[in-house]
Amino acid sequence: MITGLLCLLITIALYYVCKRVYKVKSSVYLSPLLVTPVILIIGLLLAHIPYETYNAGGKWLSSLLQPATIAFAIPLYKYYNVLKKHAALILVSVLSGSVVAIVSSLLLAQSMHLDNALVSSLVPRSVTTPIAMSVSQVIGGVPNITAVFVIITGLLGSIIGPMIVKMFRIDNEVARGVLLGTGAHGTGTSKAFELSSLSGTISSISMIVAALFTLGAAPLILSLFSR
Amino acid sequence: MNALKSLFKGVVQVAILIFISMAMNKIVDVLHLPIPGSILGIAVIFTLLKTRVIKLEWIEQGANWLLAELLLFFIPAAVGVMKYIPMLESDGVRILIVVIFSTFIVMASSGLTASRIAKRKENQS
Repeated sequence: MITGLLCLLITIALYYVCKRVYKVKSSVYLSPLLVTPVILIIGLLLAHIPYETYNAGGKWLSSLLQPATIAFAIPLYKYYNVLKKHAALILVSVLSGSVVAIVSSLLLAQSMHLDNALVSSLVPRSVTTPIAMSVSQVIGGVPNITAVFVIITGLLGSIIGPMIVKMFRIDNEVARGVLLGTGAHGTGTSKAFELSSLSGTISSISMIVAALFTLGAAPLILSLFSR
Repeated sequence: MNALKSLFKGVVQVAILIFISMAMNKIVDVLHLPIPGSILGIAVIFTLLKTRVIKLEWIEQGANWLLAELLLFFIPAAVGVMKYIPMLESDGVRILIVVIFSTFIVMASSGLTASRIAKRKENQS
């Protein structure tokens, strides 16, 4: 318990240090979401502390994830008119992006000869954790492993997203929000809020639309591809 | 004094949001809804704000705090990847290839679709 509490305090302190560093030098590789866990994992492995002990304290932070997700209702409310204006654009781009996410995860995973449970666990990885886990359950994946893929997607997505923005010169704030929310759920959305509050709001709604669509459509799309 | 008052307000508002999120989980559980409590929570808060049952000031500061530190709440889950190091040792490279390429295609396609549509709209008006 004491170790857990200490882990919690170290996590918070380390996060703020990483955030400070990131403010001074905002390279994507210095993102607090990437650096903080890497340092913590190395520390825990060196100190031979199992994850369960760490998480006795860490779970308090995870439990704030849900109220934080609910808090997305506030930017959605404040920017309602902007959302309404771009509704068709958001819907079309997010739905096509979600289909691409499901199909490309499936085909790439199969082409890598990963076993079936891993393939199914990878399919819903681009949407927010609770939805991804329940989709994984339905299509024969392992929900806990899906949760790991979701977080890996989040980490990589917050690096790949800004690269794509630069590479394809996507200067439209709405489009930036769409790609981050569709591709990398909550972490992408957090990145989008760094770009602008409009991008962040668009990203939150994209994340929600992608999650709901994947929940309904992933099993159907998979049945089209099953051999 | 004002700083203290604002701190207190923020803490109370975060507590309200935590309470709402627990209530939503309960509702989802009792009614066996197919969506998680967080998505229901977004819909409920949005509706309550829109119908002016609750005021923005009641929760705005707490919500802003939570959203500003969103990444912090993901960190314990990210540390959880360490439990799967054996799996990642055997399949990690292939898994990373899938995640990287797929995320790249998803983001490029949805981003380009969105910016094309936006441009076409601009040209029309």
